[in-house]
Amino acid sequence: MRSKVIAGFLGILAFVAVLPASFAFGQAEVQKSDDQKKDVLRVYVDCDKCNMEFLQKEIAFVNFIKERQAAQVYVLIKTQETPEGMDYELSFSGEKEFGGIQHTLKYTAPKTDGEDAVKQGLARTLKMGLMRYAAKTPVASRIRIGLIDKVKPTDVVDKWNFWVFSASIDGFFSGQETYNSQSIYGSLTASRVTPGLKVRLSTSASYNRNTFKIEEDGIKSTIKSNSESRSFSGLVVKSIDDHWSVGAYFSAYSSTYQNIKLSLTPAPAIEYDLFPYSESTKRQLRFLYRIGFSLNRYGEETIYLKTKESLLREALEVTLELKRKWGTVSLSLEGSNYLHALKKYRLMLDTEMSIRIFKGLSFNIYGSYSKIKDQLFLARSGASLEEVLLRRRELETDFNYYFSIGFSYSFGSIYSKVVNPRFGSGGRSISIHMGG
Amino acid sequence: MKRAERILVLPLMAVLILGTASLFAQTGKSDIEALKKTAPKIYVDCGSCDIDYIKTEITFVNYVRDRKEAQIHILVTTLRTGGGGREYTLSFLGQNEFAGIDDVQEYYSNKTDTDDEIRMGLVNALKMGLMTYVAKTPISSRISIDYSEPEKPKAAVDKWKSWVFSLSGHAYLNGEKSYKSHSLSGSFSASRVTPDIKIGLSLSSYHNKDLFTYEGESIRSTSTTHEFEGLAVKSLSEHWSAGAFLSMNSSTYSNIRFGLTAAPAVEFNLFPYSQSTRRQLRFLYKLAFMPIRYREETIYFKTRENLWNESLSVSLELSEKWGTISTSLEGSHYFHDFSKNRLSMFGIVSLQLYKGLSIFVLGSGSRLRGQLSLAKGGASLDEILLRRRELATKYTYFFSVGFSYTFGSIFTNVVNPRFGSTGGGGMSVSIGD
Repeated sequence: MRSKVIAGFLGILAFVAVLPASFAFGQAEVQKSDDQKKDVLRVYVDCDKCNMEFLQKEIAFVNFIKERQAAQVYVLIKTQETPEGMDYELSFSGEKEFGGIQHTLKYTAPKTDGEDAVKQGLARTLKMGLMRYAAKTPVASRIRIGLIDKVKPTDVVDKWNFWVFSASIDGFFSGQETYNSQSIYGSLTASRVTPGLKVRLSTSASYNRNTFKIEEDGIKSTIKSNSESRSFSGLVVKSIDDHWSVGAYFSAYSSTYQNIKLSLTPAPAIEYDLFPYSESTKRQLRFLYRIGFSLNRYGEETIYLKTKESLLREALEVTLELKRKWGTVSLSLEGSNYLHALKKYRLMLDTEMSIRIFKGLSFNIYGSYSKIKDQLFLARSGASLEEVLLRRRELETDFNYYFSIGFSYSFGSIYSKVVNPRFGSGGRSISIHMGG
Repeated sequence: MKRAERILVLPLMAVLILGTASLFAQTGKSDIEALKKTAPKIYVDCGSCDIDYIKTEITFVNYVRDRKEAQIHILVTTLRTGGGGREYTLSFLGQNEFAGIDDVQEYYSNKTDTDDEIRMGLVNALKMGLMTYVAKTPISSRISIDYSEPEKPKAAVDKWKSWVFSLSGHAYLNGEKSYKSHSLSGSFSASRVTPDIKIGLSLSSYHNKDLFTYEGESIRSTSTTHEFEGLAVKSLSEHWSAGAFLSMNSSTYSNIRFGLTAAPAVEFNLFPYSQSTRRQLRFLYKLAFMPIRYREETIYFKTRENLWNESLSVSLELSEKWGTISTSLEGSHYFHDFSKNRLSMFGIVSLQLYKGLSIFVLGSGSRLRGQLSLAKGGASLDEILLRRRELATKYTYFFSVGFSYTFGSIFTNVVNPRFGSTGGGGMSVSIGD
């Protein structure tokens, strides 16, 4: 094949190009320390009573200059005495490349404040006002903004007491002359999330149908295939401390895929996070144990000749999640078994990683492997050929896996910030995910 | 105040300050609680942002889930940069008490940045943009702004003349006892993007194999696609561009052994290209020459042919406070037979209509007259069920509509990761570029 040959050739070309790439980068980091001053915002402050020396020391990320013409930002500070104290009005006006960017801030120094507090207060207001200009200069990446105090996210005036209710309906339809597919999904959700307690209740239903028109040996036929599921799920979690939580799950569902007419499961659970929960956006190592009592009614008689049964099942899940400068790692191992027969178990390993080896080369891996010994719900009658091909029925299996690995290597002008939207941005991807 | 007065007042003030300081020590906590209640209410309108991280990092504002409740609506739009990173445009739109106070900030991510670096950079840009508003509320008294001097400033000298090369490979395996699926893909791309010219070349291959076992028999099904795509665009003005497309492909699905398309094209954008992140209305005309060799004889009894085709497409893209619209309409026909034509439409509309009510509609439809590449031999039952072959049809469509109504608490300040983050059900549509 011609294109394969081309692909191979370009592949070799790419690897040859890799070598000089690393050299070029070593040289490209030219020192340019004096030019840094040029990148700093030039500000002219028009203020009689201001202590410019103090301001320059406090606000090191701009350069306060003495000639107005060279300024990129002109700040006029007017003062007015009031019964409460001193009012400062700071008018910021962008010049040159910042032309047209103007705004005004006020700072009131209460009579009770000392000279030092007033100086600080004025400097802080000036800093905040300059931020929108400084953000457009290279020093922006060296500025850190924060709130001095620790504050609770619940310090708001909220008449709903953090309850949120939501209803949604989604539909998806596609087709052509000989094929069409319809999916509908609806859900109702009520939730209340505070640092001390998390409550989430949700009920949902989905319906899916595919139709194929087939003509074989002049005989026309239609193949229809449906699947539907309904579920209710509830979750309550109480925070104990920065490492421990207790709670309970409750679920009720039905699914044609799994031959389940109705399954009810309350499951109390307990969780321990090795890292404090407050660091959860950066790292988590959670151990979650739950024990559930299920009442199942099956759609058809199962391979174990049951139409209903009650089961006790325990599960332990260990999850590691890291999001660091070098990449993202998510790894989870879950084991569960039925208490009436310990041989009926399931072991599942799940992973997703995106790791940067060095600037330019990164790997993406995701995958899952399950050892399955607990398919108590399989229908005795089996599945038809269409059900097999369209994956409408869960089939008997000992294992289940998916694994994906990808890498991407880039070199060249990878720091280019140029945006050129002409002729579109080269195709877009749309991904639609459905489910609960 | 005169200097003499100030000297007299100072000792008195010192006493007062000490007094209030001790008062602060006792009531400091409730004080910050009061300040937090009056902090700006913001709505972060950004699909690709790590919102939990933003909430844990920026604590001097209150987050609301509805745009109309917010005092600041922050609309984040993105465009791809020449280096393969992203340009994030943060439009700060003041509302209610802050009506009329608008600002725009930008943040650039690199292709080599990890998710953590991108979210840190974006949070920094958000914080800086928010200062303009926070400065007008009492919580400003508790904001700290620190600056660290650079250790060694870097300056990039571009030895590559804006060329970016990328090599990627991907393997996917999926299976259980009675079903296995393997796919492999690889691609190489080279691009050069400057304000004046845009060049993109990419070569990709995709191979997929499925294996089903049914009643002791196995059903095997494979599909393979190879593709080369090239694009060169020259900027003529703020509204006009000219260029050419070149593509080569091979596909078992479409019964094409080897197809080549060479198409010069011209584009007009009603809005200036510089506003692209917020609005575009582009008209693109293409004239294509397409020599094709088929795998099997087609329903028109051809094994190879040379075709001429022209097409016109109109695309509209808007990102505004009230939502986003992205639509396109394309019409094309062959010159050897005008009745062999095609009309396609595509649209996404996502609206945040009223307090708590949002709607999205996504759809596409095509009217086809003449699928020149259809194989005379038709397709087998498993090829049909597994959608391995293009089938004769006069139309294709997909359509999706979603509606969601939310009420109750407007605040979404809290991040509670316990027992994992329970994602909501429903359909999520993500559009990447």
